[in-house]
Amino acid sequence: MSAFFLILRLGALLFWLGAGVLIVSSLSESAFGVWFGASLGVVCWFLMDCRAIAQTLRWLYWLQENPQLAPPPLRGFWLEIISSVQRPLRQQIRRGQEVENNLKNLQSALQASPNGVIVLDEKNCIEWFNQTASHHLGLKPVRDILQPIHHLLRSPLFSDYLDNRDFDKPLELESPASTPAHPLKLSIWLHAYASNRRLMLTQDITSQQQTEIMRRDFVANVSHEIRTPLTVLIGFIETLQTLPPDETQQKYYLTMMERQAKRMQHLVSDLITLSHLENSPPPDFQEWTSVRDLLNQCETDAYALSQTLTQNMDAPPHQIIFPAVPEHARLAGSEKELFSLFTNLVFNAVRYTPPGGRIEISWTSLPEGDAIFSVKDSGPGITAEHIPRLTERFYRIDRSRSHETGGTGLGLSIVKHILIRHNAALSIESIPGHGARFTVQFPASHYRTASQDEATVTPV
Amino acid sequence: MNDKHLSSQFDSDLNEVCSRLMEMGGLVEAQLQRAVGALEKYSLDIIREVIKVEEKVDALEVEIDHELTAVIARRQPAARDLRLLLAISKITTNLERTGDEAHKIAKRVRSIMERGETRNIPISDLRVASDLAVNLIQRALDAFVRLDVVAAIDVFKEDDLIDREFKGFTRKLITYMMEDPRTISSSLDLLSIAKAVERIGDHAKNIAEFIIYVVKGTDVRHSSLAHIESIVE
Repeated sequence: MSAFFLILRLGALLFWLGAGVLIVSSLSESAFGVWFGASLGVVCWFLMDCRAIAQTLRWLYWLQENPQLAPPPLRGFWLEIISSVQRPLRQQIRRGQEVENNLKNLQSALQASPNGVIVLDEKNCIEWFNQTASHHLGLKPVRDILQPIHHLLRSPLFSDYLDNRDFDKPLELESPASTPAHPLKLSIWLHAYASNRRLMLTQDITSQQQTEIMRRDFVANVSHEIRTPLTVLIGFIETLQTLPPDETQQKYYLTMMERQAKRMQHLVSDLITLSHLENSPPPDFQEWTSVRDLLNQCETDAYALSQTLTQNMDAPPHQIIFPAVPEHARLAGSEKELFSLFTNLVFNAVRYTPPGGRIEISWTSLPEGDAIFSVKDSGPGITAEHIPRLTERFYRIDRSRSHETGGTGLGLSIVKHILIRHNAALSIESIPGHGARFTVQFPASHYRTASQDEATVTPV
Repeated sequence: MNDKHLSSQFDSDLNEVCSRLMEMGGLVEAQLQRAVGALEKYSLDIIREVIKVEEKVDALEVEIDHELTAVIARRQPAARDLRLLLAISKITTNLERTGDEAHKIAKRVRSIMERGETRNIPISDLRVASDLAVNLIQRALDAFVRLDVVAAIDVFKEDDLIDREFKGFTRKLITYMMEDPRTISSSLDLLSIAKAVERIGDHAKNIAEFIIYVVKGTDVRHSSLAHIESIVE
């Protein structure tokens, strides 16, 4: 284009020069000055035009790199040309920005989706995925773009699902990012769109599945826990019915029967406690309970339990260390529940620590006003994979031990419910072989240490 | 594997072979997971499945080798492409052996079950090492797909962990056998399971070596970790 313009211009220049020479030579001497001036003007005008062309061409050239470039300060005919170039360009830029914004909005909407979203192209290569998807499948942002999905998600189940092209139902699959300590079960659903492209949605169904398992386990466990003492009871009843026992035998049978009956009673009362905790309104936080009294009572009971447990085995009792609690330390909430919370944690420590072991209870007030109750034992400890499930009902790490210790398997579930009702949090740390530490943190709003007027403090 | 070639047909050939390899990888991973699960749950059904998959894995190995030969003959690849194809061939072999180890684990679990000796042996102590091995194979394959040398080096490092677990487990087994000679035959089965787990870790390590071979062009078999790290940097 520019070459064409230049040739045109040169032609025009030659034309004007030729015309000037012709006119000058044909006219008289006196008019020479006038004509010379006129042709000089023409040359000047031509030179200025050339400059304008050069500027315009340069601007057009750089415009490709930077669409925002300011046009050269020209007027008239040249301004017309420039604006006729600029107008569609501006529109195009605006449209481009709109599209880009729309795309960004769409992407952030997909990013915010609680499900994992993965966009696949015709060859099942990943085009885009959101943060959740990268958590679900262990994808690496940016690096895994363009990677075929079946290279990263290699499960034969998924390959079959992908190959069969039957996407009516989702596929349930263990995530590749799943570990024994943090199991991750996914529901993966492919949707075909456009021509042969696919949208892949992933959803975390781990907790859903665990709830299902828990419910099933619960029913099985309750029946099992109730059946065992019942079988024993019926056995003794039948014996008593069939052969008349002597005095000592009868006494022995009755004690055994009493023990089994009591076990069932415990179980049932724990179940009732649990259902009460689940269904009753939150406790009255206007009620303040002395921590010192609670722990004192707990201490007496813990020693008694340690005695009964170790007496039969002829072993030394546990070393149980209770802290000195400030006199005015008070907790808000139901006294009965708080006591049950403390005793459950302490009794568990006593039950699971071998005789002579050390159990250390501590009470700490944090500077920000929270209170921390912790029970540390020197028992066998708990492996990491059991910790998240400990508070499930009847969850037992070692089924064969459950009867030795005499617990009902509901203690920690009760603890969990009481904690939820008192806005407190439980954390469990343990190194297998080195004991465990159960820590409860009460919020500042439910705890106070000074002897304040009870009416003025209204915890939230 | 995202670099484009002039011939897009070559690209799709390479992709096809890789997909085959990953299909095989997926099968072996699933087989391993099942075998390790059988160790935990003592389920004959699971063991049967593990043994069934074995044939599929073997068939895939043959198929991949066949495809590889075809690609090499047709395209005559050079440099990185050639290395990639060679690595795929080697990884196939390693995966097939991993499958064999899974098969072996399943068979040993079955023989422990048949003997009825499931209580008095430290089977749960194998959990850590076997979970590690499953995870390592998975990570090695992930690293291969991404041609990620850093992840490959991590695989090397973790293989040492499995080796250490294996040594510790052997020591423990000896004490069990000394304590109760009746457990010896089951303990020997357990020992071969532990050995299989340890071998699986080695296969994962081999796969990691080929990733470095593809990306860096250096054969790092039988070299020390420090040497490999210096190459990657």
